[in-house]
Amino acid sequence: MTTPLQILRALRRHGVLGINHRNAGYTLRWNPRSKYPTVDDKLLTKELCARAGIPTPKLLAFARVHFEIRKLREAIRDLDSFVLKPARGAMGNGILVVRGRDGDRYRVAGGRLLALEDLSYHAAGIISGLYALAGQSDVALVEERLEVHPEFAAITTEGVPDVRIIVFRGVPVMAMTRLPTRRSGGRANLHQGAVAAGIDLATGATTHAIQQSQPITHHPDTNEPLIGRVVPGFGVMLELAVRAADETGLGYVGADIVADAHHGPVLLEMNARPGLMIQLANHAGLLPRLRAIERGHREGRSVEQRIAEACAIAHACRP
Amino acid sequence: MTRAAALAGFLLVLLGLAVFGWKTWVYELPVLPTDPEGIWRVEMAVSVRGVGSRGSVRAPLPSTGPGQEVYDERSAADRLLFTIRTENGERTAIWRGAFDGVHEIAYGFRVRLERIETPLPTEAVRPPREIAEQYGGPTREFPSDAPEIAATLAALSLPPASDPAGRMRSVYAMVAHEVGSTEGGADDALIALANRAGSERGKTALLVTLLRGAGIPARPVLGLDLHRGATPRETPWAEAWAGGVWIPLSPAGAFFAERPSHLVALRPGSLVGVEATGAEAISYRYDALREHLRSEELAAMMVPPHRLLRAFSLYRLPVQTQSTLRLLMALPLGALIVAVFRNLVGVPTFGTFMPVLVAFALRDVPVHIGLAMVAAVIGLGVFGRLVLERLRLLLVPRLSILLCMVVLGVAAFALLGHEFERRELFTGVLFPIVILTMLIERFSIAVAEEGMRTALQRASYTLLVTVAVYPVLRDPTAEYVMFSFPELVLCIMGLLVWIGGYTGYRLFDLVRFRSFATLPGGAGAK
Repeated sequence: MTTPLQILRALRRHGVLGINHRNAGYTLRWNPRSKYPTVDDKLLTKELCARAGIPTPKLLAFARVHFEIRKLREAIRDLDSFVLKPARGAMGNGILVVRGRDGDRYRVAGGRLLALEDLSYHAAGIISGLYALAGQSDVALVEERLEVHPEFAAITTEGVPDVRIIVFRGVPVMAMTRLPTRRSGGRANLHQGAVAAGIDLATGATTHAIQQSQPITHHPDTNEPLIGRVVPGFGVMLELAVRAADETGLGYVGADIVADAHHGPVLLEMNARPGLMIQLANHAGLLPRLRAIERGHREGRSVEQRIAEACAIAHACRP
Repeated sequence: MTRAAALAGFLLVLLGLAVFGWKTWVYELPVLPTDPEGIWRVEMAVSVRGVGSRGSVRAPLPSTGPGQEVYDERSAADRLLFTIRTENGERTAIWRGAFDGVHEIAYGFRVRLERIETPLPTEAVRPPREIAEQYGGPTREFPSDAPEIAATLAALSLPPASDPAGRMRSVYAMVAHEVGSTEGGADDALIALANRAGSERGKTALLVTLLRGAGIPARPVLGLDLHRGATPRETPWAEAWAGGVWIPLSPAGAFFAERPSHLVALRPGSLVGVEATGAEAISYRYDALREHLRSEELAAMMVPPHRLLRAFSLYRLPVQTQSTLRLLMALPLGALIVAVFRNLVGVPTFGTFMPVLVAFALRDVPVHIGLAMVAAVIGLGVFGRLVLERLRLLLVPRLSILLCMVVLGVAAFALLGHEFERRELFTGVLFPIVILTMLIERFSIAVAEEGMRTALQRASYTLLVTVAVYPVLRDPTAEYVMFSFPELVLCIMGLLVWIGGYTGYRLFDLVRFRSFATLPGGAGAK
């Protein structure tokens, strides 16, 4: 039986970052409010990435107002596979993944069959702001559907796994991959039961894994080992994350990147308030690394230099 | 926490407490609602019937004295002439005239009562001549020179005359313990002594007689015994003069050298109550009601005499504005509780101030009914939303339909409350429904997006915080304190600055990251 005091001491010892500290010391301090819209609105993020040459999933259509849904319907009439999602959704809310067709009907992740009408209704809900962070009116996006990289196939049953990299002042801090499970309904949302595996920044190999905060070693659906798998293209991912963070102007940001079977690493979205579960997945606290980055901060270093520094710091901060 | 935040919080708390202290110490404003345990409105109603002959009705009137403050007197004379006669500082109301048929006369007063406790004398003090003359010697009613009295006193083997307290105690103990109380028993001192039993009046008369016999001036007092929800009862007690003051003691009321706060003295010196001359018949009764301070009296009490403090006293506002502000002043407390739950504990809720709003919506009903109503209305709303889902309506009209359903639901509650005469349900009409509609929408989105489990969990956390906030918004003491001392809002702001500057772990962080406790080592916060 561990007492709260013992837990408190362990958290201090490991340098675990708590919510209050993250908000006051990192997001509030390093992320100017004015830069939030570029990451909260996926359409803006996409434009930003396009300018910087960072690959993102291809935008097929979008609707800003209800009458534009007609246009959206035209665009998806002949598509077999795509993703319909809100530009300002949070935590994967409101995302509909179409994986195939069954005549007139669309087969969505989870096995349901939906008619074109249902999709229009969903798009209308998105535009009304049903899934937006603050309930404001939103834009419905149709994007190409990313496909699971073969390296991940053994540990993926539903949905698409992604890699979350936290970047602080232009230097990667910590990374994890999020693997959707049946329990999470195909979503890479840790609170709903997706698996998270911490990644060694230097090698790109997974080190530890958790599901619902509990350590695990094998995938709950496929029973394949989760530890020691190398994330394909992880080096490129680090580079994308750093460049995207530079573009957004946010000092403490999470970049979500997918290893697509065809295009390789693609930036999905950026998050100005990245969660703290990444610490559990890595069995390591963020604070020692954040403090080391802070101490070693110098302007004008190249992306490569910063990635090298990140690997060195992660190595030095091993428990 | 940064130094600046710590200091700012400290200054705010200090400023708030300083003003608070100034008001409560220097100007002695009551910290807790002084309601007025002891304020009563007492009415005496006398019906007197006559057939044309002239006569008068006399009634003892209470005066302001130790333990009681009488004010706000009024009377109704009903065709008679009303005068007040003051004799030896004791007042008698007199209505006189020709009694013609039935006259309903009335006299009412308000009185603030306090328990009094009199110190017992440590040495004998010679009573002043007029007290010795009026209350020291034998009378027909108090025959202190009777041989039975002398014999009883001798048998008591009293302490010496230099110890009046000891003498009082011996005499009191004898009457209280050795003379039984019988309702309708003897009113006469000597008969009560001979029977070793008497009425309240008889025992009081015996006590007064024995005290006088023992050389201590004593008098009877006629008073009223006030109890909430009961008709006041005339009750006698005795007072002994010792050490320069009148010391109340009552064998029937079982008090000695004190007087409880439910007694009001109508007339010291005599046990004669309301009486009439020249009337065919007379009846009278007393009524008493616990009273609260009227708002202007409260204001007079709560506005400090200092000019600056006066300027910032909310009691100067019109009563209507006051009652609205009273609600409002409790909100910072609610916000503080929410901040504690969110930032120190880490409880996830629907919306930031949703718990405060829900608590606010429910403040007029008891907590179990309030929660049942929330559950019922949410159930209705979620059901409605599920039905509406099939119709594929756009967001705003759908929300508006939900609102309509909630309005109908609340109306149904009101009807139900009316039907079963449960006013708690009826007051639900004032239920701010928009708040609940918002709650329904958030709840149902959470169900759709994050599953029933998470949604229910979040809803129960929201209700948990609501339940924590709720008593604060309902508690009259909290309302009084916040309204009387608005400077405490500064203290709350100071505490909020501290909470806002707290960057340590939340309680839920400890739960979430508890597995770190089982991990070896740790890089430490280098």
